[in-house]
Amino acid sequence: MIDLVQEILGWVFILAGSAVVLIGGFGTWRLPDFWARLHGASITDSAGVILLITGMCFKAGLTLITVKLIIIGIFLFITGPTAGHAIANAAWVTGLRPTEGDGLQSDAADTPGGSDD
Amino acid sequence: MIEFLVNLILFLMLIATALAVISVRRLFAVVMLSGAFSLLSALLFVTLDAVDVAFTEAAVGAGISTVLMLGTLALTTRNEKAKTRSPMIPLAVVTVTGAAIMYGTLDMANFGAADAPAQTGVAAQYLQRSPDDIDVPNVVTGILASYRGYDTLGETAVVFTAGIGVLILLSGLGSRRRRSDQDEENT
Amino acid sequence: MFVVATAALFVAMIFVMIRLYAGPTLYDRVVAVNSFGSQTVLLIGILGFLSGRPDFLDIALLYALINFVGTIAVLKFFRYRAIGDISQNPQSGGAAND
Repeated sequence: MIDLVQEILGWVFILAGSAVVLIGGFGTWRLPDFWARLHGASITDSAGVILLITGMCFKAGLTLITVKLIIIGIFLFITGPTAGHAIANAAWVTGLRPTEGDGLQSDAADTPGGSDD
Repeated sequence: MIEFLVNLILFLMLIATALAVISVRRLFAVVMLSGAFSLLSALLFVTLDAVDVAFTEAAVGAGISTVLMLGTLALTTRNEKAKTRSPMIPLAVVTVTGAAIMYGTLDMANFGAADAPAQTGVAAQYLQRSPDDIDVPNVVTGILASYRGYDTLGETAVVFTAGIGVLILLSGLGSRRRRSDQDEENT
Repeated sequence: MFVVATAALFVAMIFVMIRLYAGPTLYDRVVAVNSFGSQTVLLIGILGFLSGRPDFLDIALLYALINFVGTIAVLKFFRYRAIGDISQNPQSGGAAND
């Protein structure tokens, strides 16, 4: 009985984590502005990590693997959003500003290879 | 089947990243793409069960190489210069060499075959004797640190020398160039 | 079900690689590499469970550390020795004021 509950919880968390990672990746690709894409990437770093690691812990049971997974989860949960904040800070300090206005289009230079000077 | 698909997708992503590295002109993007390339190589090593090699590839390729190449980029231009000569002869040379190498690998033993030279040489003895001699659970670490310790000493010396050389090059040149520019402005 | 997680992680990695290739500003690319690194850590964990050998988590932990340190190193580098990609009014950071 406990095994069944553990299995089901593991599957539920892993499926939820996969969906969140997929949504985060899709957002990083398709959102129109750098600041919006930063939001998309942070979804993977925070919610995706927690859900997937919790799911893997349920699947692994009470072994050394769970301890290692919890250490990885805590580390990623602390450093992922910190790195996102550092990127946002660096971008703001060097002058990048959000594009404003209604009907936001993608960046004009959104072509493969970036804008070739 | 699943492992075959995982390997296939990883290799395809590796090829796509390599093509992107060749075709992108802005050098900063090339540095970031080669960091991603090293990450994919580390994943491939993990699927091949070679965890120590994956450690090294992740640490060196995706961590240190990226930062060092960015340091170099500060001293050179931002974009790759346009190619002036036709790439036909280099393409022919690379194709012939690649075809020769691929022909040479047809003679190699399959991955994990029992009669491969790697399995029948000294490796069997190391595997047998390492619990008694060294008593470390990871046999690869035992071989690197004890049975083939001189190799590791040589590699450490080489990497240390290379690191010192790179640091000297990257740290001194920028400030000397800036100082010489200021001297030129002052005179 | 690990197959579903692996497939989702691969698709997300491909999306992020497209952003890495096509990001117009360099901070887009830094975000993409950081996200790619976190997804690699998760993928190493999932691949360990998929192949029945979940002892690869050491390298996942190592890679999480390197990813974080590498991202911060790249950002510090751009603060103090900017390559000058951002042409809008740079403020007190960046080497444009050297």
